[in-house]
Amino acid sequence: MSAPRPDGRRYAERIRRNWHFYLFISPFFVLFTAFALYPIVFSFLLSFTEWDGFVPIKWVGLDNLRLAAHDEAFWNSLWNTLVICVLYIPPMLVAAFLLAALLNASWLKFRSLYRTVFFLPVITPMVAIALVFGLLYDTERGLLNATLAAIEEAVPWLGLRPLPWLTSETWSKPSIAILLIWRWAGYGMVLMLAGLQGIPRTYYESARIDGAGAWSRVWHITLPLMRPVFVFCAITSLIGTIYAFDEIFMLTYGGPGRSSTNFGLYLFNTSFDDFRFGYASCLAYGVAAVVFVASLFILRFRRSDWN
Amino acid sequence: MARRGTSGFRVYRYVNRVLGHAVLMLVALLFLLPFYWMLSSAFKEPGHIFAAPPQWIPSPWHPSNFRDVLDLANVDFIRSFVNSLFISVSHCGLVLFLCSLAGFAFAKYRDAPGRQSLFVFVLGTMMIPGSVLIIPIYVMMVKLGGIDTYWAMIVPGAANAFGIYWMREYIGENVHDDLLEAARIDGCSELGIYWHVVLPVIRPALAALGVFTFIFAWNNLMGSLILLHTKEMYTLPLVIYLLNGDSSIPYGIVMAASLLATAPLILAFLFFQRDFVEGMTSGALKA
Repeated sequence: MSAPRPDGRRYAERIRRNWHFYLFISPFFVLFTAFALYPIVFSFLLSFTEWDGFVPIKWVGLDNLRLAAHDEAFWNSLWNTLVICVLYIPPMLVAAFLLAALLNASWLKFRSLYRTVFFLPVITPMVAIALVFGLLYDTERGLLNATLAAIEEAVPWLGLRPLPWLTSETWSKPSIAILLIWRWAGYGMVLMLAGLQGIPRTYYESARIDGAGAWSRVWHITLPLMRPVFVFCAITSLIGTIYAFDEIFMLTYGGPGRSSTNFGLYLFNTSFDDFRFGYASCLAYGVAAVVFVASLFILRFRRSDWN
Repeated sequence: MARRGTSGFRVYRYVNRVLGHAVLMLVALLFLLPFYWMLSSAFKEPGHIFAAPPQWIPSPWHPSNFRDVLDLANVDFIRSFVNSLFISVSHCGLVLFLCSLAGFAFAKYRDAPGRQSLFVFVLGTMMIPGSVLIIPIYVMMVKLGGIDTYWAMIVPGAANAFGIYWMREYIGENVHDDLLEAARIDGCSELGIYWHVVLPVIRPALAALGVFTFIFAWNNLMGSLILLHTKEMYTLPLVIYLLNGDSSIPYGIVMAASLLATAPLILAFLFFQRDFVEGMTSGALKA
């Protein structure tokens, strides 16, 4: 629609005629201003200050950035986040794709039952399920190690043995990655299933006529067309892991030591254990900015790739 | 590679299907295992949760864990359950009302000046993650006396940019303009149109956004940790966290509490799952 230059009277007239529009969006905007806009601005300003919530706010300029550069615990939390991502996202994507491909098979029975089962972890309270994982992972008496010990006894040459899942710095990150895979594979599966169903059957049929085998059809048709879904899942999982809280807070509390503290947990501890509101706001904004720029970059890359 | 219709291909296809079913079944069992373990542990005697070899079926059957959950000294489980339910339902209702009303306005009042820029502005704030909002909201709640109140848990997250985006898309596609015009000609007020014409049409989207919001509110641990400090106000995630931290409480009781906190969610999900899964897919893929 070509908007004519708003000469005052007609513009006012249009506003008056559409007063319902402003009425209907106003409840949303009142809350939005109070609980989203104002906090966004407030915490942006806070990130240039030093404040514990009680004493007068002290303006420190860019000092918080300088602090962050030398904050070993902060960089450690980013490193842990990265390691957890590497351990969790690729296997999760592969599992989600395989499950989606199986569920998409025409011969499958009980499709919706399987879909429900795989999706169930997405909706369960993390608090409750993390505790169950804690029981399963228990080093001395957990089900997982009991099973591994039994396997070791039965088939020693497999090399499986009980592991200190939550009690060692080496295994705390894989333990969390396994929990994350379990939790999110079903979500990825649902997205990929929708993606698979969006690929026209004729593509496969003409490929078959041209003599393409099953693998070649997957490689040359399915995977390229599914790329946007993979990219979307990977980005959301990455962001999700940066800010993941419940899983880690309940399962390991970031330990042993700091070995499984991700950025989300570090931010929470900086805010509400140490009450360093200014510094925490600076970290939150800094990481958000990096994530934002990185996502834009990836999405842009993806678009140019399409055309 | 065997050709179509030859017996070799039939065998190949048969093996494929059996393999596919086997894989799916195995994975499904793995996915269900934690739920089963929660269920069976909730019925175990204190010493039996870590029994060696592991006990798959509780023996003896120990249902009194569930009674003990209700008799705990330092938490009031029923009160917390009611708190969680009240907070989640109210939050959900508020989100559905705000987002559908504003989504309707954004989708259908195309002539209103400023419509596009306001909407782009709302979308833009979606890029800013919740992590930067937590400290300001906590500070605000301390100042406004919102600590240990229901509204502090219900109101702040209700202006949900994602929800408004979702509703606008759905209303734009599914509510036809001639329907609105017909209602106007019949003398229906604009609010009446929202109530009698728009809401019935967008029921599936409301169900999906509703379940999504309800689940999110029900599982909200961080908000409870920050905003709720007295026993009377605790929500279920907080109660389970506290029970787990208290080493004098047997795991069977913690598992019984977890089960009671999980069951309503699973029921809600099973009831609305079609809308929910479809809504989640369409919302996510468009975003």
